[in-house]
Amino acid sequence: MSSVISARGLTKRYGKQVAVDNISFEIPAGRIIGLIGPNGSGKTTTLKAALGLIPFEGELKVLGLDPRTHRDELMEQVCFIADVAVLPRWIRVREVVDFVAGVHPKFDRTKAERYLANTKLKPSMKVKEMSKGMIVQLHLALVMAIDAKLLVLDEPTLGLDILYRKQFYQNLLEDYFDENKTIIVTTHQVEEIEHILSDLMFIREGRITLSASMDEISERFVEVMVPAENVAAAKALNPIDERQVFGKSVMLFDGVPRAQVAALGETRNVGIADLFVAKMKGTYA
Amino acid sequence: MNTMKWLLRREFWEHKGGFFWTPLVVSAIMTVVLAVSLAAAVTMGYQKGVHINGADVGSLSEAMNPEQQAQFVTGLTHGYMGTGAPLFMVLGFVVFFFCLSSLFDERKDRSVLFWKSLPVSDAETVLSKVAIALVVAPVISVAFATITGVLSLLFICIAAAAAGLNIFGSVLTSGAVYLAPFQIAAIIPVYILWALPTVGWLMMVSAWAKTKPFLWAVGAPLLIGVLLLWFKALFGLELETDWYWRDIVARGLLSVAPGSWFGFFHPDPNMSSGPDNINAMALVSQSWRVLGSANIWIGAVVGSAMIFAAMRLRRWRDEG
Repeated sequence: MSSVISARGLTKRYGKQVAVDNISFEIPAGRIIGLIGPNGSGKTTTLKAALGLIPFEGELKVLGLDPRTHRDELMEQVCFIADVAVLPRWIRVREVVDFVAGVHPKFDRTKAERYLANTKLKPSMKVKEMSKGMIVQLHLALVMAIDAKLLVLDEPTLGLDILYRKQFYQNLLEDYFDENKTIIVTTHQVEEIEHILSDLMFIREGRITLSASMDEISERFVEVMVPAENVAAAKALNPIDERQVFGKSVMLFDGVPRAQVAALGETRNVGIADLFVAKMKGTYA
Repeated sequence: MNTMKWLLRREFWEHKGGFFWTPLVVSAIMTVVLAVSLAAAVTMGYQKGVHINGADVGSLSEAMNPEQQAQFVTGLTHGYMGTGAPLFMVLGFVVFFFCLSSLFDERKDRSVLFWKSLPVSDAETVLSKVAIALVVAPVISVAFATITGVLSLLFICIAAAAAGLNIFGSVLTSGAVYLAPFQIAAIIPVYILWALPTVGWLMMVSAWAKTKPFLWAVGAPLLIGVLLLWFKALFGLELETDWYWRDIVARGLLSVAPGSWFGFFHPDPNMSSGPDNINAMALVSQSWRVLGSANIWIGAVVGSAMIFAAMRLRRWRDEG
């Protein structure tokens, strides 16, 4: 099976509101995909469809299975952290480890315990006694010990301080990710995951507006610091975004050869955050 | 099967308070109250002498003739499980509120997203909750009732001995004393079938309601009943509404109370005649008699259908 997820004409309506509008995409194995979009753009809905949590229209296969009809089999291969703090508040560390070990055939208990040993979590601790950061540590310990093919992370670090956030992604990258696994992550803290992503998907108003590997993005998009005398020439090349920094214009070009824009000023690779802002212009207007 | 074992444990961890500590406390209270009253009675007996009908008698063994003593032992050995009765009242409440929150709380705190991230089907999850409510909880209650009953029996025997009447031998050699806990346990199948419509209704509402499951589960049927009465009065209709209150409201909401079937099927007086009409065997045969009615089976089918609906609702309800 080549694709981990393949969607064709995926659509989800809530009443008259179209949350996901006829999208198609393929996600190959061994990638870390950032699914980035403004609030209410359909990111979570897309992920929920893939996880078999909601009905939808169109065709969607996850690991070759239809999540609507084969959800229970699928969940042996797929893990997700839907949000911070969805662990039940009454449960103890010991209990949740026992439970997952009991019901999940691919759970490696020693792995989870090794990871937990590096945290301040104690076996008798209840989730309601933990900080948000600790809850995520616990959830991550459980998820990392499951040998799944696909890991879906929907805003996994929302509301955490920077220490927890950095540690979260570091653990994921160092101890979890390999070429047989695929990770899909949504987050608003795009700068922080920029360096770990292999692919990027922008979603806006239920449509995919950009889907490319990070290599393609650095080839396609270039940012140029244009001094005042070159502004007119630069504008002729149709920059997709322009902003002012210290009296200079910073322009973002899509698909213009680097050699051509290099003559106009200093060039650099665009950050995801700037690209995102440029692509999402007018979303809330 | 292994998954089911873990699901049951999971429910037990979460609801230990209702399913374990509550019956433990009730048992303890019953036992202590009985022990203290007996101790007080015996002490009073020692201080003031035993008076029966105003006549001072030396001891209980003199006060009761052999026939009365035999009757006393029979009543005791057949009826001692009765001290556990409050446990079964409490069981009804525990099961009611457990079912009502069983599929609602996990959505409210969004932990359903965690449970759903594991390879456990919605059917298994819902069935584990049904099993906890209708099998595990009643079995625990019977166990506590047995402990309470045996302790009470022991205390009564000790108290009787202290008052000069040794009944240990006759109690221990009676068959009834050993059978009684099993007879109470034999009512559990009737309870399971009878309680299904209430369990199904509460779990279905629990899986469906966006907020306030209690109001929906209890308020909605009551409101419909009141509207029926109101229409009847308003238009002077010859509308028969008793069936609604009995077969829908009472049957749908109160069937988790153990023994509530006696409200529908009055005990057959021919089956429990005699001096010992609290005897456990009579209770069993009176309860099993209900299995011969269409009511319990229709209820069980409707309840199962609502449990199935709860599974479907849990599968597709979008948690936003």
